Amino acid sequence: MSEVRCVSGVELLMDYLEGVLSVEMHAALDEHVAGCEKCAAFVASYCETPRIVRDATAPPLPSDVEESLKLFLRARTTAFRRN
Amino acid sequence: MIVSTVEPSDEALAARAASGDDSAFETIVSRYQARIYRLACRLTSDTDAPDVLQETFLQVYRHLPSFRGDSQFGTWLYRIATNAALMHRRAQMRRPAASLETFLPRFDDQGMHAATPAELQIAARADELLDRRLLAEKAREVVARLPDLYREAFVLRDLEEMSTADVAQTLGVEPATVRQRVHRARLMLRGFLSNLVEVRS
Repeated sequence: MSEVRCVSGVELLMDYLEGVLSVEMHAALDEHVAGCEKCAAFVASYCETPRIVRDATAPPLPSDVEESLKLFLRARTTAFRRN
Repeated sequence: MIVSTVEPSDEALAARAASGDDSAFETIVSRYQARIYRLACRLTSDTDAPDVLQETFLQVYRHLPSFRGDSQFGTWLYRIATNAALMHRRAQMRRPAASLETFLPRFDDQGMHAATPAELQIAARADELLDRRLLAEKAREVVARLPDLYREAFVLRDLEEMSTADVAQTLGVEPATVRQRVHRARLMLRGFLSNLVEVRS
């Protein structure tokens, strides 16, 4: 098998993490990352990115939006049943 | 008298709501409204999310009699909410988004990372190194700037933490397509966080 470079490792990273690569390709990437400080650093930050963005974008439901929803649904479901 | 303290399942509530029990429908709404609001904010905007929320539960109410239980109730509801958000967004004039391609990783002629390990690692600590409010503001801006196809896949897969298979089913595409879109989004966002830390420190 040809030697893995960082660029092809990055290209296959999500498939690698989801376990959909062939056993050989998975092993080749394991080997590359184990010997490549840059890829190890890249993988660490790639894996943390979803969590950081998730925690930073979790708005709570505002009470006025909740109240409007309640009034809206009461009016519309009553109208829906009448029809 | 023995009072059951076990919460009724979504499916049981759905069946009761479908047969006209409004209190069961209200329980479904209160169980899911915060999650659907969050999803709507992530797929549209704070301004549009209240409309998407209302539209979603109205659709749920109307279609409850046709809920067959082939999928889990939550998955079914998320599909309705996702479609409501995407319909809403398509109805809006889309602003041309500044390209996030600039945040993709760079490689040298040998196909090796151009940045140093320290530079490549830094995005992993964005939440330690940046002010929380600034990060929240920038993160929401950048998710909104993602190309639509990447944004919907990333929001469902990584922010709402659905499985790749469920995202594929919800969006009507192959799992491999979901992986490819989520991957592009992660690369862009990773680079964006990295840049944000460098600029701010």
